[in-house]
Amino acid sequence: MVVNKHFSKLLVGALLAAGASTAAHAGKSNDTLNVAIDRELESIDNYYNTAREGIVISRMVWDGLLYRDPKTNKYLPNLATAYNWVDSKTLQFDLRKGVKFHNGEKFDADDVVFTLNYLGDPANGAKPARNVNWWNNAEKLGEYKVQLNLKKEFPAALEFLSGPLVMYPNDYYSKNGPEGMALKPVGTGPYQVTSVEPGKRYKFKKYDGYHASSPKGKASIGNIVIRTIAESNTQLAELFSGGIDWIWKVKPDQAERIKSQGAFTVKNSSTMRIGYLNFDAMGRHSKNPMNDVRVRRAIAHSIDREGIVKALVQGESIVVNSLCFPSQFGCTQDVPTYDYNPEKAKKLLAEAGYPNGFETPFLAYRNRDYAEAMINNLNAVGIKAKLEYLKYAAFRDKVQSGGAPFNFGTWGSYSINDVSAITSHFQSGGKDDYSKDPEVIKQLGIGDTSVDANVRQSAYKAALSRISGEAFMFPLWSYNTWYAFSKDVDFNPTPDEIPRFFTAKWM
Amino acid sequence: MSSGSTVTTTVTKASIYTRFTGHQGVMIGAFIVLAIVLVALLAPLLAPHDPYQQNLLARLIPPVWDSRGSWDHVLGTDHLGRDYLSRLIYGARISLLIGFGAALISGLIGTVMGVMAGYFGGRVDMVVTFLITVRLSMPVVLVALAVVAIVGGSLQVVITVLGLLLWDRFAVVMRSSTLQIRSMDYVAAAQAVGCSTKRILMTEIMPNVVNNLIVIATLEMAHAIILEAALSFLGLGVQPPLPSWGLMVSEGKDMMLFEAWLITIPGVALFLLVLAINLMGDGVRDITAPENRN
Repeated sequence: MVVNKHFSKLLVGALLAAGASTAAHAGKSNDTLNVAIDRELESIDNYYNTAREGIVISRMVWDGLLYRDPKTNKYLPNLATAYNWVDSKTLQFDLRKGVKFHNGEKFDADDVVFTLNYLGDPANGAKPARNVNWWNNAEKLGEYKVQLNLKKEFPAALEFLSGPLVMYPNDYYSKNGPEGMALKPVGTGPYQVTSVEPGKRYKFKKYDGYHASSPKGKASIGNIVIRTIAESNTQLAELFSGGIDWIWKVKPDQAERIKSQGAFTVKNSSTMRIGYLNFDAMGRHSKNPMNDVRVRRAIAHSIDREGIVKALVQGESIVVNSLCFPSQFGCTQDVPTYDYNPEKAKKLLAEAGYPNGFETPFLAYRNRDYAEAMINNLNAVGIKAKLEYLKYAAFRDKVQSGGAPFNFGTWGSYSINDVSAITSHFQSGGKDDYSKDPEVIKQLGIGDTSVDANVRQSAYKAALSRISGEAFMFPLWSYNTWYAFSKDVDFNPTPDEIPRFFTAKWM
Repeated sequence: MSSGSTVTTTVTKASIYTRFTGHQGVMIGAFIVLAIVLVALLAPLLAPHDPYQQNLLARLIPPVWDSRGSWDHVLGTDHLGRDYLSRLIYGARISLLIGFGAALISGLIGTVMGVMAGYFGGRVDMVVTFLITVRLSMPVVLVALAVVAIVGGSLQVVITVLGLLLWDRFAVVMRSSTLQIRSMDYVAAAQAVGCSTKRILMTEIMPNVVNNLIVIATLEMAHAIILEAALSFLGLGVQPPLPSWGLMVSEGKDMMLFEAWLITIPGVALFLLVLAINLMGDGVRDITAPENRN
């Protein structure tokens, strides 16, 4: 075993040495950034793909009418130069002149009207439906002016128009459709696609004709190659040997070791994803201890969120007290909170009639180590939680059909910087709602449909306070992503977990 | 066959003992298996710490031979700060339990089917042979994965599923050995005297096929232990926080390039146990039925 330890050091050392000698062949010297991702993308047509890596590519290849600055969260003009709310259900846009698609097609009102009407038609099945089901139709008012008619008040409209809704060339798309777009994508974005090997490798080249006034800015790195490498140890080995310049979703413990070796840049960024415990408050699953608010509060007091964040989650993660990510519109932290206090938890359990605790199933689908740490916390106050660890699809189905007294889940809000993308999803009486509290549903309804920022804010605050106070759901912590890349690369991660390669540079 | 059986029948207890002690493989194998069984039985006395006790402030401490290690945690701690040696010791219980459990269930099923087919022949044989063919056409790992994924993994489920899947070799071997024994003169004699079928099976057939049974049982035990490790590695076997060796390898996998001991220690333990069981099985066959050696 002594030999083994030396062997592993030798292995990493050899990989690093190999990396140093071949580094000259890859990356900076031939102006190509080699990126590894861990999954196979079904399609890179932005509207037929829900993977995060698809969103990353979408931001490189296409533009939206607006662009949300990831630092200030302000909506900046991109393909539209100005927008105007005619009334609460009508939006008008002035479009930018002189923009050309990668294939030379001119960008004008026809493209916008075509794209939005195509997406708005349910028969075309654009995914995810929530991105595209909130308007009736788009109208052309002039060569560079369009109007969008909403179905009802929809406060998050600008958020969608500045991110997931990108504009397609009408001539090209009506001729080639989603299949053509997936194999030879054409957009107005800072990078154009030069080759697609579906599920395997995508090559991009800087678009020299990119419109100079874009808030995204012109790309700096000449070429980008995105490759699928499914296994994380293989990704690391490739990074060490210089075959890959940039990886992400590195595990915290791995990141720490890579950092301490000093050969690569390691960065961390908080993300919008938060973890939560969802309790069966209304007895959807069964009559069980979670129906009692005292038990839910006891569980909240029994979990050492600070300790788990410090030891396991690490990075920029923080403990969250309300059911949303702090940067999201309407997300207040001014809600009832639960400190880590096992004694108080035991007292609450005794009051609820469980002085010796109880046994309960516990559902989870990711971060088995966090789940085990929580089970350990629960054990300390007498609650024997039996972990049932499922794949995400099975977990979701089981939760949505009322299958557990409580579960440990996470939610990334689709990177939408608005409370409606998370709190309203879980607590508006839908399939994931285990409390169906009329007061919460009412307040969320007000927040989701008003366009008055103050009205929305106070409605969301009322809902979030009640959710935390009654412990319908117990927010745990925010997540974070680790990035590791070559020291030649100047890259800054953003909290929306969408790496913007068009802002990366060579050092 | 006839000359072979004369050899076996003349074996005395004393000569079996000398053969045992003289056979290096079986001695080494038996020694390791015995050691692991003892460790498993005495786990509460031997384990320096509670295998379930987490300490998030003492995560990933390396073993004692590393400069960062200490005697407090001889084999270090895992990603939740649990003592690795204690988990390894308790993990032996899981592996042995699954090995014995699965071999017992499959042995029972396979032996009953094989002996019945071999002894009665005819339609019974046809049905059993058909069932064996059906079973052989199913890929064990895939079926086990699918079943466990549907039913949900737990110790009992894993033992049952493996037990229900691994009986084929028992059935095949028991069937062919019973076929051979059945045509022996002493079986015919017993039939002529008017012994009941039950008596013939229990006192004439079984004692003469039990050697083969032992060899197959050890093979299948090792097979089940490896399969459990694979299932647990994929997250579908024994559920945490139970300390299974396969689960330990799975939990250490992410740190493979940095802290190799996390997967080498449970890996070596698995290797030793399976090697020892196989050595013992081979040895038992050599000693009790040397004529079957190839």
